Amino acid sequence: MSAATSEAPPETRRGFDLIWVGRLVAFAAAVLLVLYPMISDDLYYQNMIILSLVFAIAASGLSIITGLAGYVSLGQGAFIGLGGYTVGVLATKHPDTNVWLWMPLAGVVAGLVALVLGFVALRARGPSFVIITVAFLFLVQVIAINWRSLSGGTEGLSLPIPTWDADIANWPFYYSLVGILALQLLLVWWIRRTKLGTGLVAIREDETKAATIGINLPVEKMIAFVASSVLVGVAGGVYGYYLTFIDPRGMFNILLSVETMLALLVGGKATLWGPVLGAFIVEPLNEYANNDLGGGNTKLLIFGGLLVLIVLFLPQGVLPAVESAINWLRTRGKAGLVGARIGTGGSLAPLTDKLSLVDREAVSDPPPLLEVTDLRKAFGGLKAVDGASLVVPEGSITGLIGPNGSGKTTLFNLIDNTIHADGGEIRLAGERIDGLSSWSRAHRGLGRTFQITRLFREMTVLENVVAAQRSFSWGQLGRIAVSGAEARAAEELLEYVGMRAFRDQKAKALSFGQQKLVELAQVLMLDPKLILLDEPAGGINPVLIDRMSEMIRELNSYGKTFLIVEHNMPFVLGLCDPVHVLGRGRTMASGTPSEIQKDPAVVDAYLGDDFVLEAGQATAPADVPQEATS
Amino acid sequence: MTELVQTLVLSLLVGGIYALVASGLTLIFGVMRVINIAHGAFLILGAFITYTLWDQLGLDPLVGVVVTTPIVFVIGWVIYRLLVRPIRHAPMSSTVLLTFGLALVTEGVMGFVWGNDSTSIRPSYVDESYHLGSIFLPKAQVYGGLLAILVLVALWLILTKTWLGRAIRAAAANPASAELVGIKVTSVAAVVFGLGLAAAGAGGAITGVLYPFLPGSHYLWIARLLAIVVLGGLGSLEGAVISALVFGIAETVTAVYISPAWATAVPYAIVFAVLLIRPQGLLGTRLRDDAVAA
Repeated sequence: MSAATSEAPPETRRGFDLIWVGRLVAFAAAVLLVLYPMISDDLYYQNMIILSLVFAIAASGLSIITGLAGYVSLGQGAFIGLGGYTVGVLATKHPDTNVWLWMPLAGVVAGLVALVLGFVALRARGPSFVIITVAFLFLVQVIAINWRSLSGGTEGLSLPIPTWDADIANWPFYYSLVGILALQLLLVWWIRRTKLGTGLVAIREDETKAATIGINLPVEKMIAFVASSVLVGVAGGVYGYYLTFIDPRGMFNILLSVETMLALLVGGKATLWGPVLGAFIVEPLNEYANNDLGGGNTKLLIFGGLLVLIVLFLPQGVLPAVESAINWLRTRGKAGLVGARIGTGGSLAPLTDKLSLVDREAVSDPPPLLEVTDLRKAFGGLKAVDGASLVVPEGSITGLIGPNGSGKTTLFNLIDNTIHADGGEIRLAGERIDGLSSWSRAHRGLGRTFQITRLFREMTVLENVVAAQRSFSWGQLGRIAVSGAEARAAEELLEYVGMRAFRDQKAKALSFGQQKLVELAQVLMLDPKLILLDEPAGGINPVLIDRMSEMIRELNSYGKTFLIVEHNMPFVLGLCDPVHVLGRGRTMASGTPSEIQKDPAVVDAYLGDDFVLEAGQATAPADVPQEATS
Repeated sequence: MTELVQTLVLSLLVGGIYALVASGLTLIFGVMRVINIAHGAFLILGAFITYTLWDQLGLDPLVGVVVTTPIVFVIGWVIYRLLVRPIRHAPMSSTVLLTFGLALVTEGVMGFVWGNDSTSIRPSYVDESYHLGSIFLPKAQVYGGLLAILVLVALWLILTKTWLGRAIRAAAANPASAELVGIKVTSVAAVVFGLGLAAAGAGGAITGVLYPFLPGSHYLWIARLLAIVVLGGLGSLEGAVISALVFGIAETVTAVYISPAWATAVPYAIVFAVLLIRPQGLLGTRLRDDAVAA
């Protein structure tokens, strides 16, 4: 929720006030929540609040993996059950120990199991992951039923009866859950504003792309899974103790997961407070269905019907709906820049303050920056890349051309590990990088844009650019998502590509050409040594094409090496030297632009014998040394 | 040895029923990328409708398939039109949640209409068996298994030999291109959703004779069905059939030789193992997500 801005026109005042109204409501609700047991000793409502707190904690945890990282889990309830069983088993085995001492262990067990689930999720995305979570829940339930010596089987476990004063019987449960919820919200709030949070959102938006801009997928996902479950396990322990009786059908009931998911969806899955609001809507509804509508089947109709209705009519949830209504009121009549000319200029300060101009003429025989040897990839029987080899000399703008389906984009995908190669060798600055993950390649200086741009659609332009992570360290994950220095660097880069005016627009609102420019800025944020551009001139207007080649030349003069796939021949032949030609997954020719144009095989396979480049456009110097590999 | 042969024959017959129901699930996924979590619920619905036809009208449950299947088909068609179609472009997680909600609603409705007690359909031949040497084959299992295979063959013929089948496969391969050559993809999808659910309904009519059921049984079924289609490769019909047979054997063998209690864990263990080792399943191919379908 971005609050008011510095330059507030009159109508912004109202939005500003509404934000504060929201905060006031949240604060009043928190005070009421803390004071309630002291004001009223109505056990019915205390019970309702206690259960709502459990679901609020579970849903808030779920918001980390489902709301931020986009992994939909129907197994979240299992962590409540695991926490309850951890405490239940330990309390019955050690009847003389204070039950509260086991609560932290409930969190540890939940966290460890989440780690296992997260490990599975490293390979399963989307639908497979949902299926896994359901299977996980049922598997845990079957184990709890069958491992009788530990869990007591279907008969369940009875926990010790609380020994404290009956007048305040619920207080310890109530206040410990309030405390856990506070911690949980603090955790989510913290994650949302760190690099970790940005990384998770990037994973949600486009996981493959996230890896190419340096986001360490397994580490971020594992942390998210553990963070989404530890406090839920503790809350489950408190819940089990509160119930004083636990059994597999109750503690691992899929309806616990459904209710958690509903709380998250109703409130707003990508918000901080939504899950809490949702839990306090859904759980009272549940109580009402149980006590006044006969429970059982009615409850199923209400939960199922609510799930269907939410998905169909309110997919964002209540809070985001309110927020977008407020935003609409605030920004009505002053929509952003539409169809504005893309600015030019801006400096390359964030890149150049560490670098000096490279005089390429002075370097007579540049070492290879990228060496690809005998790279292979087959899709079933189709050999998309079949022993391709090429060299990109350091400091060059190397072109890669070839007919459609000759394997150019697949070669890019293999170089940055968007797709795993079947075989072959890739070296970057002498170091073998095949076998490394996409993010490790990015950290070693490989940047890449996509033919069909792949920005994170729900992020703003600025967020897209700062999402790139130049290196990995555990400490960095905890750093604030957009530091001042980073924001400045990103703005400089956006200024350079001419997109600064759009920095607060969502990426999905941009045109294709604008997205290409933002993606370039995003890749530059990695400060890569080698930039792979996949059809930079494809689908954009001629003025922008000229600007694009101007930028490529300028970046090149600051030491950036390029490998460019492009079908626009004047663009490639005017800009690139050397040029590699790919045909049927192999490098069929390499040379200077003029050599390539004369190569009979290339003319035959690709250019066509009527190909004539307009005079004045083929200005590539012919005296730059070659690395011919064909 | 005799016991083993009998176990294998019976598990293949059960596998045939699994294959029928799972092919409906995988067909729906293949054409519209929807994982229908309500599939098990519609199987149980098919069983309850068959039960009513048998209980009230005295219609033989296996003959009742002729009535049950069209009813469930129409329900499926309507559900697609009303609920799935509006969110067909939403992320896959939306349709998972939607069909999950649908499963809960269906479970609740069945609870209201038929009650939450265990129900069985018991035609006259349910306790009779064929004797082949020393092998016992319960008649209900034999009839049920053969009927399932018959319906499966009919489904396969529809998919391979008719214009509708070609349209369905075209829509599955590339919806946008199918539209370009004159196939109305949403109409095809509605028919597929109906067909898929009808397969579940037919399977329900058959299994209703073999096992007792109640509204809540659908969780067990959806777990089993998801395990089968994941093992076979999501969207692959041949994969679903093969893995259904494998699954029938694995489950029966676990129940006979290890313990029936752990047989319920088989599906979940399979899902975990498959998605860890070979996420694309037996016959599924990994999708090329770098090439964009125009």
